[in-house]
Amino acid sequence: MNMNKIKTPIIALAGNPNVGKTTLFNALTGSRQSVGNWPGVTVEHKSGSYSHNGHKYEVIDLPGIYSLSGGTPDELVARNFILNEKPDLIVNIVDASNLERNLYLTVQLMELGAPILMCLSMADIAERNGLQIELEHLSSHLGFKVMYLTLNKRFNPKDLLDEIEAGLQNPPIPAHINYDPIVEQHLDNIWHGVLSSEKLSDSTLDKPLAQDIYWAVQKTRWQALKLIEGDPEYVLQLAEDDRLALEKEVRAIEKHRGQQASNVIADDRYGFIRGLVKDVVKRRRPGNWTFSDSVDKVLLSGIFGLPFFFVVMYLVFLIAVRASEPFIGLIEGGLSWLFMDQLGGLMEILKAPYWLKYLFSDALGGGVVTIGTFIPPIFFIYISLSVLEDSGYMARAAFIADKFMRKIGLPGKAFIPLLVGFGCTVPAIMATRTLENPRDRLFASLLTPFMSCGAKLPVYTFLAMIFFPGRADIVIFGLYFFGIVMALLTGLLLKSTVFKEEPGNFVMELPPYHVPTFNGIMLHTWFRLKDFILRAGKTILIVIIAINILSVIMVPNVFSPARERVSVLQVGGHLITPVLQPMGITSDNWEASVAIITGLFAKEAIVGTMQSLYSGAELSMEMAEEEAADNSLSENLQAKFGNWQAALAYLLFVVLYSPCMAALAMLFKEHGGAWTFFTFVYLNILAWLVAMLFYQITAFSAASVYWIITGIVIISLIYINLKHIGRNNVRTA
Amino acid sequence: MYARRRMRQWGRRFFQSRRVCECQRGDCLPMSELTEGVTGTVFCNNDLRTIERGIYVGAKILIFRNETEEPNIIVSVGDARYVLDRRIAMNIRIRVDELQAR
Repeated sequence: MNMNKIKTPIIALAGNPNVGKTTLFNALTGSRQSVGNWPGVTVEHKSGSYSHNGHKYEVIDLPGIYSLSGGTPDELVARNFILNEKPDLIVNIVDASNLERNLYLTVQLMELGAPILMCLSMADIAERNGLQIELEHLSSHLGFKVMYLTLNKRFNPKDLLDEIEAGLQNPPIPAHINYDPIVEQHLDNIWHGVLSSEKLSDSTLDKPLAQDIYWAVQKTRWQALKLIEGDPEYVLQLAEDDRLALEKEVRAIEKHRGQQASNVIADDRYGFIRGLVKDVVKRRRPGNWTFSDSVDKVLLSGIFGLPFFFVVMYLVFLIAVRASEPFIGLIEGGLSWLFMDQLGGLMEILKAPYWLKYLFSDALGGGVVTIGTFIPPIFFIYISLSVLEDSGYMARAAFIADKFMRKIGLPGKAFIPLLVGFGCTVPAIMATRTLENPRDRLFASLLTPFMSCGAKLPVYTFLAMIFFPGRADIVIFGLYFFGIVMALLTGLLLKSTVFKEEPGNFVMELPPYHVPTFNGIMLHTWFRLKDFILRAGKTILIVIIAINILSVIMVPNVFSPARERVSVLQVGGHLITPVLQPMGITSDNWEASVAIITGLFAKEAIVGTMQSLYSGAELSMEMAEEEAADNSLSENLQAKFGNWQAALAYLLFVVLYSPCMAALAMLFKEHGGAWTFFTFVYLNILAWLVAMLFYQITAFSAASVYWIITGIVIISLIYINLKHIGRNNVRTA
Repeated sequence: MYARRRMRQWGRRFFQSRRVCECQRGDCLPMSELTEGVTGTVFCNNDLRTIERGIYVGAKILIFRNETEEPNIIVSVGDARYVLDRRIAMNIRIRVDELQAR
């Protein structure tokens, strides 16, 4: 083992997506792991450690990639890690049921000259598909050890750990990949003609060891290959003369093969792989029809595909909303008792000043409670998503959804975040990270608030039961459906204005079906949940504390002749009431406005606010004597709203207006301030427009004509503005 | 029309951009136009992303699903199954196996 260079040997896990890399990483490191982002990019970085035979080893889980071409951020970070950090050993996990495609990455790793240990996973699927791989034979061709890896409950890491130790003690030297003789000749010309005069060659080694010299030679050949492939990271480092010389060589290769030079290199790599696979893989039965193909014939068929998809998605929705309900109450009660009651009690015992008690027990404690209530739906959503991912159905779902999602300018994969939005908007925005294209991520994030989250359901139920007692169920269903319709219309509008370009080209692998393991699902869910609590939770907590503080800062009420002291939020309610008047909120119904403001920090707060304000003493002072005598909540609400049109307009506003502060904070984290501002403004204007038009049309009066014309003008202005944003986007791109 | 096509071909030759394969008429078909169950060999593919996933020149493919109204097709390449955007599949030329062509 090269202990002089690095004290703790670094082992990198590399492989294609869905080969069991993360499962192996979790099995090796257990809880001794940390997650972070690679510097400068949003690609996740996982590292951990384990001990074997008294030695400590550091393990890095590289992103799942198909090649090292550097076309995606994942490929770039994996490549740069191997080139710059020089891991002591790369454990290349290869799907045995799909050896040919997986070997493409292996070949590129071999070209880098890195010491490799190959582990063949999914051996059971390969066996089921009638594939027999001669391990010793494959190993002799590749120049390093190849072994099977069974990542199930009976996984015994000892053999693997011994092989890793052996690989570190005697680093294997991978076999050399030869290209077409003409390509080799030009490769040689670039190596000696261009690279020898360039700073690209590695001159950082003072006292090189044999392994370092080999690595440096291989790195130079790798750089020559990258120059032929036209990799901008390498080409841009060349001087003008060298770039011209390189162009000459590349043109000669392209003329010889009639293909782009980068494709020539990829084709030749596959030439090597094809020969290798033919030599070492024996097929027990002709053809490659698999069990997964037979299942797909049914699950992706025109008859069963769509119904099955909707059943699965309904189950996900049901689990997220229904299964989490009892836990929300439990967590809310438990955390309130601990952080608000007990902490508040402790502060009182310590005789802390009121503001300090409020800051800790009400603001901070309240924030913790709010974040705690997010955990159950997020946990159940992540469990559902992990099952779908690990079983292999997620890719199929994306394929089916693609058919109708394309119509609003989104790829099929965007369906999942939108579905998650019915549980909570915060994890829905986080779930957009699964989309490769930044345009698709942003577009999907902007549509997630249209899906009525779990917190809106109590508001719908509360108001629908009061105003439409006999038809509450229809009204609630209608509100959910209305949100979806508005998402579709906004999707069409944004597709024709802001996001004019087509969604990203879809190249997606359909992994074979397999039964997910309990440990795997739980570990995936736990790491995602931890990520949510640690990353999003912090931002959400700060916002909630700020709003809590605003709700206790008392100022004189400028809207009341008595000038009594009220909270800043209440003043805000009075302030926005005139704006809400066209949608049926009269000036004496300021409580509805306050509820809209408190709903900004949690939608369920709308119900709480209404309950306290509409049944409060204040109300009885303002209302006539005979009404004050009977101030039951529902009657007060009905009296203040006046008619059902105003109540329904208010509900439509609640469906569409800005998501809560937690979701806005998440949006800010993912897409920056400009798009958060855009979402906030767009959704509030849209909600106001829809509610106003609904009220003015259903409760038609002479003034309605004026308001309807105003609405049409505003819609035109929005369209022109969105067109302008779209043009700016194109120019920036 | 004919002159425009000639000009375009001259332009491609002049700038050496062979983005479209030089298939003789009837010699090969775009992958997006093949029906379900058809097998063939990749004759030409200029898209590096799909080449790297195994759809290289000479690879055997099987069209697993191709519904004209759908934006994607499913293709089987070796032991892998891919969902390919129709826009990408359109630019991959396939030589259909002789037995099926008859």
